[in-house]
Amino acid sequence: MGYTMKTIAYIALCMLNLIPAVLHAQGMPITNEAARLCQQKMYTEALSKADEAISSKEERNDSYTWYVNGFVHKEIYKEREVGIRQSQHRVKAEASFMQALKQSNTAKYDSMIKLALKYLASTYYNDALQCSQTITAKNEKEAHILFDDFKRLMLVAEPSIDFKIYEKEFAKSIGQRYFSLWQIETENIELRELAASQYESILLVDSSDSDAYYNLAVIYYNQAVFMYRKLGPDMDMFDSITLQEDASKLIRTRALPYMERAYELAPEKGEVVRGIMMMHRALDHEKDVEYFKKEIERLINEGKIKSDQHKP
Amino acid sequence: MLKQSPIGIVAFVLLVVMVAMPRLVMAQSIPDDNTVAMIRANYLYQFANNNDWPSEWKKGRFVVGVVGNPDVLEIMASKYATKPIGSQSMNVIGANELQTTPQVHVVFIDRSRKSEIAKYVKEYKGKSTLIVTNWEGALAQGAHINFLSIEGSIRFELSKTAMTEALITPGVKILQWAIQ
Repeated sequence: MGYTMKTIAYIALCMLNLIPAVLHAQGMPITNEAARLCQQKMYTEALSKADEAISSKEERNDSYTWYVNGFVHKEIYKEREVGIRQSQHRVKAEASFMQALKQSNTAKYDSMIKLALKYLASTYYNDALQCSQTITAKNEKEAHILFDDFKRLMLVAEPSIDFKIYEKEFAKSIGQRYFSLWQIETENIELRELAASQYESILLVDSSDSDAYYNLAVIYYNQAVFMYRKLGPDMDMFDSITLQEDASKLIRTRALPYMERAYELAPEKGEVVRGIMMMHRALDHEKDVEYFKKEIERLINEGKIKSDQHKP
Repeated sequence: MLKQSPIGIVAFVLLVVMVAMPRLVMAQSIPDDNTVAMIRANYLYQFANNNDWPSEWKKGRFVVGVVGNPDVLEIMASKYATKPIGSQSMNVIGANELQTTPQVHVVFIDRSRKSEIAKYVKEYKGKSTLIVTNWEGALAQGAHINFLSIEGSIRFELSKTAMTEALITPGVKILQWAIQ
């Protein structure tokens, strides 16, 4: 929440800076005409004028001319091509904003150009996340390219930015995708390992990420559950006992320690409390199960979690 | 931007905020499977399949009763009841049906109903009903086989004497895997 509020405040500040900058754009008739047409959503005409402006000897060396050109492309992208990962208007908008930053009077328009770049960056980020939900084990490349585009633009718009939160979210999204694929194809070890590797990579940069611990715990727990589901009348007793011992060991030595760490970091998060309760139940730890059932009831009573989502 | 109205500016700001925020990636879900119940149901089937009952108990249906554990009852019924024990088809019943069923081959009494063990031991005295439980000290209370939890794995102990008295012959595999 704190992060969101800070960002809103930052963007609002940027927007306040944008208006006077626009008002100072004097003596550039072609550019101003392009801006006017754009404002009226006459994008084809606006683009024609904006392209004319950047070819104009009188106006092409002004940062504002390039900014307007980029802005028109950006508006066309927003209007017609959002979600199209190969959008050429987005590429051209970026190129124009970069040109705007190279002009000698760029300082005057710096904040609005960077705000526009930030917007473009955010669209790459969105695309990267969306793309991550369609990847397969053999094709992660496009999502990473989009994420790199996001980082590249953000570094220009906000050089001091810390990407950790975005990198974690991106890794979680990929992890979620592989996890979902693995749920469909439970015998595919590669998918499980790819999911786990995403969460492990998060812990390398942030050892206090409770979601990553939780998700790793769930992966190992589900692996054990899939093993248990194979128990049946056609399985020999020796194989049954061996299987259940392997599965319980997996829960005891892999899943539970990760879930315990998640619980340390987020003791009032519904899915974590339910998760640790389920793992103790799988290990027949009767007292622990009772303890966490009471914890879930307490959290429900205190309104911290919803009862329909976390029945003890 | 270019001479935008205040409303337009607010809308633009909101749009930027919406798209720029990292999204909350959905947490992965934990399946509801009661794995301990799955294991116990599997063991009950193994006990049914790998012990030997007197010949007069090999007629009619092979009855498995479950007391106090709906999950074990449900798994037994859905996963194992279709498999015959020898030539007997299996019938899985709950506590209510036990009273009206004269011949029960295996009865599992969950620890949630352990206060009723004496009643069941008395009920099945002199019969070849294998009493299976899951709490410490149950063998001394008259159970034949008792589940144990060892480092999270479910194993079992048995009273060979009590089983022999009930004329149930423990199978080799059962003896082999029992905790001594």
